[in-house]
Formats: sequence, C-alpha cells, structure tokens
Amino acid sequence: MYTKRQQSPSKLSDRWIQENNELVNKWKNRDASSQDQNHAVLLLLPEFHKLLRKIQGLPPLEDHAHLEVCVVYNVCLLSIALSRMSEAEQLLKQTIERVLQMAGVEPMATSPPQFWHTLLTGVEPKATTPSEFWHTVLTSVENTAISSFLKNLLCVQWAIWLANCKFETIEAQKEEFASLSAGIQQNMASDGMSSNIPLLVMEPRKLLELLEICTAITQGAEMLKEGRRSEALSLLHPASSLPAPRILIAYTHLVYGCCLAHTGRPQMALLCFRKAVETDFQCVCAQYQTILVLRSLGNTRGEIEMLRFLHSTLRLPSNNEPVTPGNQLLPLSVLLQSQALQSLLSVPSSLSVLHSLAQKCVLNSRVPEGVEHYLGLLAAIHYDEHGVCSEDSDLPRLPELHLEAGTSLLMVERPGDCMTLCDEVITTTAELLPAHVVLEEPEEEEGGAQATSTEGEQDAVAMIFWTAAAHLLQGHCYCELKNWKEAVVHYTRCINLMVKVRFKEKGGQPQVPTTDMVNEKRKDLHILQRMKGLSFAGRGISFAQTDQLRQALRDLNLSLQAFPECVGAGLWCGEVLWRLNRKQEAAKIWEKTWNFSSDVANRIPLYLWEPQFGSVLDCEELRLRIRELDPNKDTSNQE
Amino acid sequence: MEGRCAVEILTDFGFCLASSILKVSSSPGTDVFLTTGSDEVFVFGEQDRHIKAILIFPDNVRDLVVNKDKKTLYVACCTGVYCIRFSSLPSRAQSSESSRIPPRVKASHEHLVIREEGTLALLLLHSLLLNLRRENTSWLLTRYKIPEDSTTVARYETLGSFKAPLISDSDHRGSDERSEKKPVLFCVRPADASSKSPGAHASLDPVLFKVLFGIDAALAKSPVVLCGLPDGRLCFFAHRVPGSRLRVLYSLEQPVVFIGVQTNASHSLVALGESGKVVLVTLEPKATPGDGVAARFSEVRVPGPALCACLDKRSLYYSTGSDLLVLDLALVSSTGGSEAEKETLASPKTTADASRNVNSLNVCRVVALAEHLKNVEGQLQLQLLALSSRGQLQIIRPPVGVPDGGSSSHAGRAIKDVLSAIGDVCERASVLKSSVKSRNQTLTHLNQLLNISFLLKANANGKMEKPIRCRAVADWSTLLREDSLTLKYILDNGSPYILERGWTLNVTVSSMCDSAQVESSSAHYSFPFHNLHPGEKLEISLPLDTQGQWSLPCVVTATLAFALSSILGEKASAELSGGHLVNLPLNTLTVDCLHALRMVNPADVKRNAAPRSYDVTPLDTVRTFLKPHSGLRDDASSQKHSTCVKVSSQLLKETLKASEGTSTNVGVLLLDWLIGGEHGGVKSKSDTKTLDRSVVHARAPNGHLVKMTAKEVVLVNPTEEDSVVTPEAPLDIVEVRVESSSLAAVCGMHHAVLQRLQALLQKAPERSSTLNMQSLHVREALQHAKKILHKLQECRVSCNFGEGTSTGKMISHLLSAYEELRETSLLII
Repeated sequence: MYTKRQQSPSKLSDRWIQENNELVNKWKNRDASSQDQNHAVLLLLPEFHKLLRKIQGLPPLEDHAHLEVCVVYNVCLLSIALSRMSEAEQLLKQTIERVLQMAGVEPMATSPPQFWHTLLTGVEPKATTPSEFWHTVLTSVENTAISSFLKNLLCVQWAIWLANCKFETIEAQKEEFASLSAGIQQNMASDGMSSNIPLLVMEPRKLLELLEICTAITQGAEMLKEGRRSEALSLLHPASSLPAPRILIAYTHLVYGCCLAHTGRPQMALLCFRKAVETDFQCVCAQYQTILVLRSLGNTRGEIEMLRFLHSTLRLPSNNEPVTPGNQLLPLSVLLQSQALQSLLSVPSSLSVLHSLAQKCVLNSRVPEGVEHYLGLLAAIHYDEHGVCSEDSDLPRLPELHLEAGTSLLMVERPGDCMTLCDEVITTTAELLPAHVVLEEPEEEEGGAQATSTEGEQDAVAMIFWTAAAHLLQGHCYCELKNWKEAVVHYTRCINLMVKVRFKEKGGQPQVPTTDMVNEKRKDLHILQRMKGLSFAGRGISFAQTDQLRQALRDLNLSLQAFPECVGAGLWCGEVLWRLNRKQEAAKIWEKTWNFSSDVANRIPLYLWEPQFGSVLDCEELRLRIRELDPNKDTSNQE
Repeated sequence: MEGRCAVEILTDFGFCLASSILKVSSSPGTDVFLTTGSDEVFVFGEQDRHIKAILIFPDNVRDLVVNKDKKTLYVACCTGVYCIRFSSLPSRAQSSESSRIPPRVKASHEHLVIREEGTLALLLLHSLLLNLRRENTSWLLTRYKIPEDSTTVARYETLGSFKAPLISDSDHRGSDERSEKKPVLFCVRPADASSKSPGAHASLDPVLFKVLFGIDAALAKSPVVLCGLPDGRLCFFAHRVPGSRLRVLYSLEQPVVFIGVQTNASHSLVALGESGKVVLVTLEPKATPGDGVAARFSEVRVPGPALCACLDKRSLYYSTGSDLLVLDLALVSSTGGSEAEKETLASPKTTADASRNVNSLNVCRVVALAEHLKNVEGQLQLQLLALSSRGQLQIIRPPVGVPDGGSSSHAGRAIKDVLSAIGDVCERASVLKSSVKSRNQTLTHLNQLLNISFLLKANANGKMEKPIRCRAVADWSTLLREDSLTLKYILDNGSPYILERGWTLNVTVSSMCDSAQVESSSAHYSFPFHNLHPGEKLEISLPLDTQGQWSLPCVVTATLAFALSSILGEKASAELSGGHLVNLPLNTLTVDCLHALRMVNPADVKRNAAPRSYDVTPLDTVRTFLKPHSGLRDDASSQKHSTCVKVSSQLLKETLKASEGTSTNVGVLLLDWLIGGEHGGVKSKSDTKTLDRSVVHARAPNGHLVKMTAKEVVLVNPTEEDSVVTPEAPLDIVEVRVESSSLAAVCGMHHAVLQRLQALLQKAPERSSTLNMQSLHVREALQHAKKILHKLQECRVSCNFGEGTSTGKMISHLLSAYEELRETSLLII
C-alpha cells in the first residue's frame, strides 16, 4: 500500500531529477568562451523556477526533499549570480520552513513569524541569533538523509550574507561554517557513485572554498578600515594558502600588503604587492598600491617605473573590473561588495596614470620622457575615438594639460610646438575672457557649497589665468628664439590680462593685489603674483636684451615687487643696474638673489615654472664682477 | 500666398500605425529604414521604390540608427540592441525574383550585441554606440565600444556610463506614460575646417560651442552628446573631456521632441518641446567690446503639439499630427528673439509667441520626419521624408521661398486672417438674420391666424355677416351622358387678411333627410390652398350625387382649418397641449330641390314626358319598359300629386318689393324669387329670364317633371274650407302650387318652398292685426289634423293586425293621409 501510494511521486521525482539535470547540463555545456554569463543565467533561471514550482506543489515529503533542496540550491545560486539577493533569501526561507515541517521538528512553534523575521533581517539577534537558528535546523535534521543537502543551503545563506556585507552574522556563524567543510566533503564522497542524484550548478565544495577566501578578503579590508590591523593580518595570513582562483589569492596578498603598509612596514608591503602581481598579472590595484607606497617613501624613480608599468597594464583590454574566472557561476563583484575593499581595489584611469607619469618625469628631470607622455596623453584625448573615461576627475582641466605639455616642450627646446599648444588655449578662450574678475577670499570651512555656487566665476578666473599663462609661455618661447620684440608683445598681453584681476579681501573692496597679501591659503593670489612677476621679468629681460634699459629696470623692479623670489628678475635687475652703472645696487641684488630658495616647486602649476632666464648670465662671471667692484668683499657665501 | 508643398507618396504600408514610437532613418541615396513602433523594421529602397526587406525583432522597436560607414543597422528593442549588417540582408536581385514580396528577416540572438533591457534611444558616435535607458532612479547613458572587426558579433564592451538622476515628478507618472515619452539623443561638434569626418554630426559655431559646453570640450574639439529627456531637461556631456559628467544645459519643462542645429548665417542650437516650446540658443551680441560673450536662450512658443521635427538651414519643420508646420527660425531669431528678450527682462518666465512666423504646409498626419538632401541638377535640395499615420511614406518638397519676404507675407497673412474673420462674422450674421427673419415670418403668420380666428369666432353668434364666408351655385352638367348636379362652392375672403398657405377648407356635405344615417350619407372634402388675398375668392366644385345615396336637401358645412405645424414646425407644434389644429367654422349652406330645378319649355313637356329629355339610351328604354310594372306611384299619367302653399300677397309685396324691384305680378315675382333667388347662400344657375309667366315647368332633381304655378287669388268669399277669412277684410293671396307625377319631387319642392317662405317671414316686419283671424283658422286646422290622425291610426291598426289588407291598400291610405296633410289650406300672411 505504501509503495503504491508513493509510486507516482517517486516517478515524478525521477522526471524532475532528470529535468534538473538537463538544465544543469545546459549550464555546464554553455559557451564558456562567451563573456556574457548573465545572459545564460537569465535564460536558465525561469526554467529552474518552473521546475521548483512543480516540486513545491507537493506537500513536503522526505522522499524527494533532497531533490527540492538541490533545486533550491541551484535556483538560489543563479539568483545570487544576478544579484537578486532578496529573491534568493525569500526562497531559502520558504524551503527551510518546508524542510522543518517535513522533519516534524517544530522548534519555531512558539512564534515562527517573529523568529523568521529575526533570522532574515538580523534586527533582533537577542531573541534567537541566526546562527542559533541554523544550529537548530541542522541538529533537528541531523539524523535524516537530507542533513547533508541542507548544509549546501547553509552555504547559500553564507553567500547571501557575504553579498549583503553582514560580517557580524558571518562572524557569529564561524563554527558552523568551519564544520561545513567536513560535512560537505563527506557528502560528496558518499553520494558520488549514486547515478540518480540531482546535479548542482556549482559544486558545494567549490562554493565553500570561494566563500571562505572571499570572506577573508572582505573581512580583512573591513578590519583594516576599522583599524584592527593585526586581526586582519592574522585572518589573512592563512587565507593566502587557500585553494582559490588566482585573482582572489592576489587580492589576499593585496589586502595583506595594505595592512602591512598601514602598520609601517612599507618594504614588506611592497613585497606583498609584488606577490599579488606575480600571482595575477592583471591585479592592477596591487600596482597602484605599490605606487602609493613608493610615493610615500619618496622613491620617485621607483614610482615612475611603477606608473609606467601600471599604465601599460591598464592599456590592455578588459581590465576595468575584477574578472570572474571562466566557468565560474558567481561573479566576484557580487561577493566582494565591501566598500572598504572596493576602495582598496580602485585604480585611477589610464589617462590619469599617464598624466601622473608625465608630470613626475618632467618634475624629476626626465623631461624628454615626460614630453612623450604628455603628447601621448593629448593624443589620447584628441584622437581616441572611444573618448575618455568619464570617471576621471583627478585629471587637471584640459587647458592646464595643454599648458603643462607646452611647458615640457619648451623645456626640451621645442618652442614651436609649445607655441602651437598655447595658441590653441588662447584661441579657445579668446571670446570668453571677461573684462574684469575679482578674486575673493577663499571661504575656509564651508568650501563645497561655496565653490559650486561660483563655478562660473571660478571658470572666468581660471580662463584669465590660462590665457595669461599661455601668453607667458609664448613669451618664454620667443625669448628662447631670441625674438625679443615678439616676446615683449606676449609678455605685455599676459600683463594686461593680469591687471584685470582684482583681489577682494574679506569685508574689503576689490583692489590691485600686492605681494604682502599672499599667504599659504590664497593659492590663486599666489599664482597671480607669480605669473605677474614672471611676465614682468620676461618683459624686463626682453627690454634689457634690446638695450631698453630704463623700461627693463622698471619691469624688473615690478617683477620683484610682485614676486620677490624670482631669480631671473633678480639677476637681470642686477645686470641692468650694472649696465646703468649702478654697480653697488647690482651687486646687492645679485647677492640677495643667490640666497633665494626654490622650495615652492611642488605647489605651483608646472606651467608657472620659471625658465632659466638667468642662464645667459653666468653666475661665476657675475661674482667675478662683484669681486672686481669690491675686491675686499668676501664672496664665500655662495651656495 | 501660402506656399504649397509637393507631396509624393513613395509607398503605402497600408496599415495604421501606433503613433507613439516612430522613427524614420535615412541614409541619402540608399535606403530608408523605418519602424512603426511595432516589432518590424522596413528597409525601403528609395530608388526602385519598394520594400527591400522586413526585419522582424522579438520585441517592439524603440529606436534605430544607421551606421553608414560600417553598413550596419542598430535597432534597440526592449530586450537589447541588435546589430544587422546590410550584407546579411537579401540582395535586390533575390528579392525582385521573389515577385515583389519583400523578404522577411528575423533578428535572432546572433544579432544581439547589447543585452541591456529598456534601451530607449541610440546614438552612434564614431565607433561608439550610445545607449540611453531609464533605471529606477536615474537616466543612464552608456557608451559601448563597437569592435573593429565586425565579422563576429560579440558583446559590445561598455566604456562607462553617465547618470542623470530622475526628477521626482516623473516618478509619479504612470509607467505607460513613461514608456511613451522617448528621450532624444543628438550629437554636435564644433565647426572646424580640419574636421576629420564632416557631415557625420551637426557642427556648431565654435564660439557658441565653447560658451555652451565649456572650454575643455572646445579645446579637445570633442563631440558633445545632447540628451533631451522627457522631463524637459536638456543634458549634455563632452565625449572627449576627462571627468565629463552629464550636466543640464537647459530645461524646457516639457518633453523634448527634437534637438537640432541650425546652420544658417548664425548658428543656433534648437530644441523643440512637445507642447510647442522652441528654445533657440544663440550667441548674445557683445554689449561692450571687452566683455565676454554669453549664450542667449530665447524661448518662443509655436502651436503644439509637436510629434516630430526636422531642421534645415533656416526653418524648423514640425508636425502636429494634423498639419505640417514650418517655423522660420531666421525671423524668430531676428524679430521674435529680441522681443523674447525684452519680455524676459520684464518677467523671466514669459515666452514669446511665434505663431505668426509659423506657416502651414498643409500636410496632415505626419508622425515621423527625416531630412533628406537630394542632389537635383547639381544643387542640394531639401526634401522631407515623412511617414504618415496612415502608413504612407511621403516625400515632401517644401515650397521654395515660403519664408522669403518676411514682412510682406506677414502682412498678407494678417490680412488673410482679418478676411477670414470677417467671413466668419458675416456667415454668423447671415445665419442670425435668417433666423430672425423666419421668426418674424412665423410671428406674422401667427398674427394673421389670430386675426382671422378672432374675426370668425367673434361673429359666430352675432348677426353680422362674416367677412369670410362662402356661397354656392348649384348647376347641372352633363358628363358622359350622365346628368349630374355640381355645387360650385365659393369661398369669399372679405377680410383684410390674407388666408395664407397652411389653411385648409374642409367641406362636409350631408343630407338633411336621413338624419339617422348621417355618417354614411355625408361626404367630406378638404382643400388646402395657398394664399387667398383679401377680395379674392376660392372656387371649388363639389359633386352632389342626387341619384345615389342621398337626396336633396342637403347641408353643406365648412370649416377653415389651420395646422400650426406649418409655421411652428412639427416639434414645436407637437408640444402644444391643446392640439395643433385651429378649426374655424364658416357659414352653413343648404341646397334644396328648388336649387336643383331644371327649367323645361312647356312645349317639350307635352312632347316628351319621359324623365330624360335629351337622349334615349338602351338603358333608358329598358327603364321605361320596366316603369309601368315597377309600382303604382310612379305612374305619371295616372296620378298627379300636388301641393299648395298660400301666401298673403301683401306680405310678399312688402318683402319682395323691397328687395326685388318693379314687377307688378306678385305671383311671377314670387316664382322668380323662389327659383332664381339666392337662398341659404345657394343660388341656382338656371336661367331666370324665362320666368315671366306664372307657370313654370321644370325637371326635378330626380328627373321628373314638375309644374309650378303661382296665381293671385282674392280671398273674398271664403270657400267651405277657408271660412276663417273675415268678410270685412278681403285678402289677396298668392297660391303656389306644385304638381308632379312624382311624389318625392312634390315633397321636395314643397319643403323647399316652405323653407324659403319661412326665411322670408323672418325677414318680414312685425304685424299684429291678424291674430284673431288666425286663431279661427288654427282651430279648423287642428280639427283637420285630428281627422288625419284618426285615419292614420286606423291604418296602423289594420297594418298591425294584418287583416288581409294588402300593402298597396295600406300605402294608398297613408298617401291619402299625407296628401290631406298637405292640403291644409294654411295661409301665410
């Protein structure tokens, strides 16, 4: 009687197993080369759902409970793969309810809804923690046949918690998870030979491994963020030896390295990063972290090398996101959701890296190399048909890039090319230049809102600065070409633009800025004064070259007023005075100039670099002159 | 004055289109791709003008773009973006073989290149495909890289996306509405002589470009993608500028339908909103030379709704569904723009109305438009490709120079407007006028009606003669050898009013004899008539069938009826509760035997005593043959009936003289009056001139001869019967005797004579002297009547008990009683 009654469901369950296996095989035999995993999942999921509905149409019976649990496992994993967490969670909950009902265990008889609410939301762990719940579940079905299948579902639960970044819950469940490993292995061993078992889309064993390492990585990152570095280190250390896809191992090294870097062991960190890159060549974030460490160490050479390396890696196709290893159902991006980890994994865009590289080269006396990088950068912006990545916001504005590139070109004595770039900037801004601008005292605390409200204003100021800088550079170019007349013209243009800018102190009226107003916070004013000084200096020098000494002296004095640290202006001022036969004054100025320190180089834009005006004036020769003028004076204070 | 455009229908898809999502994409000289918002895309060869292929997609087509360089077509469906290579389409040769039925190509998964749901708009930018879709909280503009080698269809790699948050307003709208409104993508680049790919995208004046999109975009010479969202925002991002974000350029505050660039002398960016708001973005002219330039956003309003639009050098063509309109942008930017500016200075939200710069092209039902430049004789000529909601693909050639001569066409248009307004007013006025007129007419009619009815009703009881009255003339006529008596009925309109159309004269002729059977023995006639003016009369002829069902005398009653429906209309008159017929009785006429007498010469009487004097038909012979046997009464020769009426001649003299004139013989006078005079409104047509004797032979209506004599008798010695007359006052009387072989004729004549005398007596002046004489006479008469009564009773008893007395005997008894009754020698004084 019993068998007869059970006959048809068991037949049915055979059919369902077959159906499930067909679907799983469809998944396994899919075109793995296709990058579009999601699509295959999207196609399969409805069919699995259909099957599941059929199965769950029957009351929970022990005979085909394992089938149901297997199908639920498959469906949940596919749902997770599509980031449909709540769907998977809901299904999981329903299934557990059915299983408990079937096992005749009623531990939740007291108040099931509350319990489940607690379980799923984790709001009230006090009543019954999820871990306790799972413990109850597993123990209550311990002796039954489906207990091993149920452990698979616990893995699914783990994946959901991980994807939802519920680290506390996972932490609490640690022991249960640890015991999973043994249980699942057993399960596979015992059921391996049975031919009539439902197939799974992902082996529980593999899922477990994946979950273990992903949990270690994300938890490590979170701990690092919270400052629990030693805990993170102890957590991550064993993880690096876990069997896992290469990229995950690389991430383990990366997070480990980051922890080391933050605990003041940069060299060890560098080693870890290196391991990470070695484990997975495409682990660009490790390269970037290396750069950051090297930068903090002041290892410019190493930084430049790494930048170059990173740039070349980034230029390879498909490097944007953590690549899911082929044939893997769950995308890593789903499991590695942690914000802390994401910030460690983020890498600036290739253009940004290229710009850093170029700037570093130019600033570190590798100008020809820097020029190449700048030109490459401009080419990428102008001619790359694919456009540039929109997320780049750490790149300077395009006119600044042009000016920087121009400066580097001028540095390698390509004034013609420099002038072309400057021309572009000048023609672009030509019609937009405002008649007057007023620089306002930067608001100190409430920066953000203020900045956005006066965006147009700032743009106007920036435009004047860019255009002026372009004219300044052109003046430098003509100086380089020894076309003094043209140089004067361009310096004059720059000066004319500069005088349009007034400065308004807090509570004051707009006025012509003076040097004494400049301080650390007033960056714009600093740039303005420096540019003014440079342009006056340039014009003065040009006048001096054409023997218009009176004008030259006036401009050079103005230059020194605006920008007292201007070396060229100082030297040439002395020279002009000398020529005017005011040799004592000349000597004083020269000596003063030699005492200038040039420590501001990093804080100012590259294009406001002071050209080697003074190079035509040989310092030795000047010193000689001073000595001749006053042989008694000791000139030992040279640097 | 208004230019007409030439419309040429290329083909007819023959189905009604869903008007919501439609797009015509054309690549000049080659094919036209179009979708109707369903799951089909038609490839239409413009040169050979037939559908080359039909592409079928698994879902409704949202948007499509054509990549001319790579010869591919991108189609956005709900499920994703499909890429169809032209080479994969069946070639023309193949399709022509298969007898004009376009081959159908089904897009499959192989063609699916972007698997993103909900793509709403596509844009092709160099080797990038831009894809705009809506997510829960934002608009997402994603860039996809089109692989270099397009031999294999691979999934396109994404190059990052831009987000613009949804405006909360749009969340509240229904999902249907959301899907209806389609965003618009447009690409613009700065105009530059050294540009690599001219024509691929619209170019904009570099100064305007950098003012609008920033110096970075200008410096990078970057194409800028403009995106018009259904919430009215006009967003943009610069393609090549690092860190570029989707920024809002302007908000139209209504769904953006179209974005374009006008490349006339001064470039401008044009955006058109669904409800007809046009935004023209131009450069602000420099106020002071030193100052920087700025962009000017001038809003103008045109008649909406705008379904689709396209732009040529100076005009914006757009369809409202009911008409294709063209807006002259040059006029707007020159005149309308400055006005708009003035208005914006006053209040920033006002929008100038540019309706007068809008011309109609008189093409209706256009739901999709595409610009189509055609090389005609070495000149590029603008054509518009349009898809109508009826499924017709049309080429529209806008009239050349419509927008030319701005001001004159302007004035002309104004004049036209005024004229048409005048026409409208005139039409309205004439309608009102006619209605007033008809009401007046109705009132006049009603007034007439009231007057007439008052006239007739007021006199109903009075003695005054009604001004509208009728009279009749009896006349014999012979038709088809049958004598018939006709009554010429005359209605006299003696009133000062017109009896208008709508009046009906109803005449009823009924016999007086047969009072029990009135209905069967009466005839009704209706005569509707048109206007009867004052003084006019209406004559109608009524047949009086003397032989048939009824005999004389008969009464002719007439009413004038008026149906109110003829003036008030059916509906209004039906609402009247008291019936809608006005009935006004006219005077009643009586026709008696005297009126129907036919004079006969005495000679004729002797010669032929037969009823028919004119001809003897076979029927008549039969009748005469039968007559002797028909009955005893009709035997003319054997029995003569007679009756007599005596009238005082004094009375006659007084009454008749007054009316008649100078006839000495009172008897002749009386006969003349009886036969020729008008009685009861009826006159006999018989010639009265023969009445110079005191004997008249005539034929009664039934055909029998009647002899009528009137003689003057002096009643001095009273006879044994007339003993009542007192000897001291001898009395002149006139005795009118009627003799005939037909009793009916005698009776009829007697009745008629008495009737007339009665009427005469009513007219006669009052006298009182003869009362005593009369009383004696009355007693005698009473005795006589008692005798007759006794006789009658005897007769009745014998009749009732049926004592073997024959009916003939009884009839003779009755007859003698009757005759005795007749013979009462009453004298009318």
